[in-house]
Amino acid sequence: MSEHEQDAFVVEGKMALPYQYFAGATGSKFITTLRDEKKILGVRCDKCSKTFVPPRQTCERCFSNLTDSWVKVEPVGEVTGFTVIRYGEPYQPKAPPYVLALIKLDGADTPIAHVLDCGDVTNAEVGMRVRAVFSEERKDNLLEIAHFEPAKP
Amino acid sequence: MGDDKKTEQELIVSRQVLSIPQRFSTGPVMGRFLRELRDNKRIMANRCPQCGRHQLPPREVCALCRVEATEWDELGPEGTVRDFDVVFYASPDPLSGETRKTPYVACWADLDGTQGDAPLWHLLDAPDPSKVRPGLRIRAVFADQRKGSMEDIKHFEIIDEPSRREHGDRTGPSEPRP
Repeated sequence: MSEHEQDAFVVEGKMALPYQYFAGATGSKFITTLRDEKKILGVRCDKCSKTFVPPRQTCERCFSNLTDSWVKVEPVGEVTGFTVIRYGEPYQPKAPPYVLALIKLDGADTPIAHVLDCGDVTNAEVGMRVRAVFSEERKDNLLEIAHFEPAKP
Repeated sequence: MGDDKKTEQELIVSRQVLSIPQRFSTGPVMGRFLRELRDNKRIMANRCPQCGRHQLPPREVCALCRVEATEWDELGPEGTVRDFDVVFYASPDPLSGETRKTPYVACWADLDGTQGDAPLWHLLDAPDPSKVRPGLRIRAVFADQRKGSMEDIKHFEIIDEPSRREHGDRTGPSEPRP
């Protein structure tokens, strides 16, 4: 091995990014209700006739304060879009390949992104009816819903 | 927001450390610098054949003359503090994610033998940060487990040499700078 070849080498390293995410009053209530009551909440803007899931503090259209406009939505809904994750990262919720879907729950007007477990990833379809499966472990985050699965008709 | 219901509410904070694996290809010049740290505990700089100044850490081409810097010299491991920071903010070390113990001292070290203007930045182990001054004599301390990275120098330590410890002495290396 020449000296130059010996001198060019690869250093394996890692970069750690510590971070804190504060869910806020609205996001916290959404998560604690998932955890403690196994219920999915949204907020409704009556002025715009729009129900937001996940909930938000203000209406995206008319900026009305929605902090006390809670409504319950169904744990079943429809896939409005999806992608297949084929690479693995340590912080991902599942080993690849898996489906990350946009799911519009019954009673909601906006979709929520979540993991869809439909067996083989090629089974995923837009328009599919799916149901939330709640986590048995305490997670304190959106993974209080472990994943969605095809709803039995 | 004086509503009692809101102040009693459980608020969710998620704390996580994302760990991102990364690979750094050294190339032959930085590679030689890192290999010498790892295998021989030597701090090597390369020298411009035209202007004679050192580059530390080394780079392939002299940034001033734009000619290949092919000559190598060992610098230090002793040197002089040119300038320093006492850091009180508990910033995480990006390479480990661990929060550094504060206060810590970081310094620009003018290593003995340096031609020109090429101080090396590193941590300085100073039991009493209030006593750190420019001109303080220091020495590189190498890590026991070395893997070919800047962390192979664990830190610099203060050499107990009171005669040279002059307050406010901001002179760097004895050689003239370009």
